[in-house]
Amino acid sequence: MADPANDFIKDYQALAQQSWDAWTRQFQPPSAANPFASSPAPAAGNDTLERTLAGLKGYFDWMQAAASGGAAQPATGWRQQLQQMFGGASQPFTQAFGGIDSAAAEGFARQWQAWMQAARHSGFADLAGVQGPTPAFGLNREQQMQQQALAIALMASIQAIARYQELIQRANTQGMQRLQDKLAEPGRQVDSLKVLYDLWVDASEEAYAEIALSDEFRDVYGEMADTQMRVRQLQQQQTEQMCQQLGMPTRSEVSSLGERLQALRREFHASRQSGASADHADEIMALRGELAALKRQLASGRIAASAPKKSTPAKSVAAAKKVPAKATRKPTAAPAPSPRKRK
Amino acid sequence: MQTPLRIDPARALADIATFQHKLAAGMGNLRSMREPEYANTPRELVYSEDKLKVWHFTGHGKPTAKTPLLIVYALVNTVWMTDLQTDRSMVRNLLEQGEDVYLIDWGYPDGADRWLTLDDYINGYLDRCVDAVRARHDLDAISLLGICQGGAFSLCYTALHPDKVKNLITMVTPVDFHTPDNMLSHWCRRMDVDLFVDTMGNIPAGLMNYVYLTLKPLRLTQQKYIDMVDILDKPAELENFLRMERWIFDSPDQAGEAFRQFIKDFYQGNKLVEGTLQIGGQNVDLGMITQPVLNIFAEQDHLVPPDAARALGKYVGTTDYTQLAFKGGHIGIYVSSRAQREVPPAIHQWLHQRD
Repeated sequence: MADPANDFIKDYQALAQQSWDAWTRQFQPPSAANPFASSPAPAAGNDTLERTLAGLKGYFDWMQAAASGGAAQPATGWRQQLQQMFGGASQPFTQAFGGIDSAAAEGFARQWQAWMQAARHSGFADLAGVQGPTPAFGLNREQQMQQQALAIALMASIQAIARYQELIQRANTQGMQRLQDKLAEPGRQVDSLKVLYDLWVDASEEAYAEIALSDEFRDVYGEMADTQMRVRQLQQQQTEQMCQQLGMPTRSEVSSLGERLQALRREFHASRQSGASADHADEIMALRGELAALKRQLASGRIAASAPKKSTPAKSVAAAKKVPAKATRKPTAAPAPSPRKRK
Repeated sequence: MQTPLRIDPARALADIATFQHKLAAGMGNLRSMREPEYANTPRELVYSEDKLKVWHFTGHGKPTAKTPLLIVYALVNTVWMTDLQTDRSMVRNLLEQGEDVYLIDWGYPDGADRWLTLDDYINGYLDRCVDAVRARHDLDAISLLGICQGGAFSLCYTALHPDKVKNLITMVTPVDFHTPDNMLSHWCRRMDVDLFVDTMGNIPAGLMNYVYLTLKPLRLTQQKYIDMVDILDKPAELENFLRMERWIFDSPDQAGEAFRQFIKDFYQGNKLVEGTLQIGGQNVDLGMITQPVLNIFAEQDHLVPPDAARALGKYVGTTDYTQLAFKGGHIGIYVSSRAQREVPPAIHQWLHQRD
C-alpha cells in the first residue's frame, strides 16, 4: 500500500541529492582524465574546498538518512530511533576519518593507500615472503630478500592499521553510548537535527579523547607509525637501487651532501664567532695596556706634582682614549670546532 | 519514559531544505572569494639569513618602549598568526600600545635545511637575530616573546645567553611535556623517531596537519565546515573563515634533525623540566633564568594543555615571575576579540613596568 508521507520524503531526498551533487560538481577540481580543463574552483584553493566538501557531504548524508531512518519513523523507543539515525553507511564518524585520510594527509596517506592498493591488486599471496621468510640464493638473492622484507613489513602495517581502526570503531560505539547518556539526562529535549548532531559530536569527541589518551592507543599509534615508516623505508631502498642502475642521483646522496654542507656552515659560523671573540680579546688586551699606561702616567704625575710640571694627566688620558682599539686587532686563526655527533 | 527526541519530520525536512538553500546561495559567494590577505602591518626587513627573515614592524608613531621586543614564533605553521587580520593583529595591537616589535619569520625549510639542528636554530639563527636587534638599538639585552615551540626555544636561549635577554614572555609554551592530558605527547611517546626522520627526512606539513586534525577529528574536519554554511551569505565572516583556513594549512615542513631532537628531548624525554636537556653540548638549566618572566597560557588549549605551560613557574630561577591565564584556546589567544582586549595590553603593561 502506498505511503504518501514516505513517498514525499523520498522524492524530496532525491531532489536534494541532485542539488547537492550539482554543488559538489561545481566545486570539484578538474578530473585527472582532462588535465587541461579550466578549473571552476575559486582562487581560495581546491584544498580548502575538498575538506569543506568532505565535511559537508558527511553531514548532508547523515541528515538525509536521519530524516528517513529516524525522525520519519513512528517512535519505537528513542534509543532504537537513535541507532537508526546514526547507524549504517552514513555514519559520520567514519566519514570524518575518511575525509582526513584522503584530503589532509596529502603526499603521505594517499601515497600509502596507492601502494596498498597496488599490493592488493597484485595479490598478497604472490608477494614473496608474505607467508614468512624463506631462504634466498643466486644472483638475485639480495632483491629476493628485500622483496620478502617489504612483504613482511606490509603485512605488519596492515595489521597495525586494523588495530588502529578497531580503536576508532570503539570510540564510535562509546560515543553513541555517551550520546544516549546525555539524552537521558533529566529535562534534555532535542528538537532539531543540528542540535542532535552537535550533541553527538560532543559525545563522540569525549569518547575519542578518552581512548586516544589510553596506553593501548599510544602503543597502537606508535606501532602504526613505525610499521608505515618501515614499509616506506624499504620502498625508498628499492627506488634508490633502481635510480643507481639508471645512473641517477639518489636521495641518500643528496642528503649526504646536505649533511656535509650543513657541517661546513657550522664550522664557518663557529670560526667567524671565534674570530670575533679573538678580536674582543685583543681589544681587552689593548685596553688593559692603556689602563696600565694611564696608571703609570698617573703615578708619575703624582711624583711630578711634587716636582716641576711637565705635562698634565688629563691630556694624557684624552690622548690615550683616542687610541682606536680596533686598530690593534689582529686576525687570528680559528680553532677547528669539534665535530658534533648526530643523535 | 518521555522521549528526549522531539524531532518533527516536517522540521527535519525543513532543516535539510534550509541547509540546501544556504549551500546554493553561498556557492556564488564562495566562488567569488579571492585568497584572503593577512593584516600585512607595515614592516621593514632588518636581517635575513638563508630562509629566515627578521621583520621590524613600523607603527604610526615612535615607540614609547625603550627596549625592543623580538617575537620568536614556532617552526610549525607560519608567523602570520600574530598579524592575521587588521582588527585581529597582535603585533598591530602591541605597536599601538607603544612597543617596538620585531618578528622572526623562519621561512619554509626544504631539503637544504634537512640537517638543521636545535643548536643551529637556537645558538645559531636565534642568537644572530637577537644580535641584529641588539646592534640596531645599541643595547646589551632585549625582550623576547616566545610563542608555543618558539617559547621553548626562547627559554633555552635565555638560559644559555642570559646576558642578552632583559625580559622574557612565553605564550602557550609547553614546558612540562608529560602532563596526563597532553595528547600529542602521549601519541609520540612510543614512536621510533629515528626511524621516522631517517625515512621521511623533513617532516611534511601535510602530515603535521593531519596529526593536528586527528586531535579533534569531528570538530576539525566536519563540524566547523557545517557551521561555515551559516556564514556563506556573510562575506566578511566568510573571508575571516577562509583566512584562518589559509593560515592553518599553509604551513612549512619541519627540518628533519630539529624535529628528531625536539620530539626525543622535549616530548619523549621531557628533558626541559628534568634538567637534562643539552643544546649544542651545553646544559639548559631553567634555573639560570633570573630575568623577569611573564608566562601566558590558554585555559582551553588542546595543543598545549594549561598545566604543561603553568609548570614553568616551578623551574625558572627568577623572583619576578608573573602568570596570566587566558580564557580561550591555542589560537583564540591571538585572534579572538577578548584576546585583543586583554593580551597585548597586559604584555605592554608588564613590559612597561620593567623597561
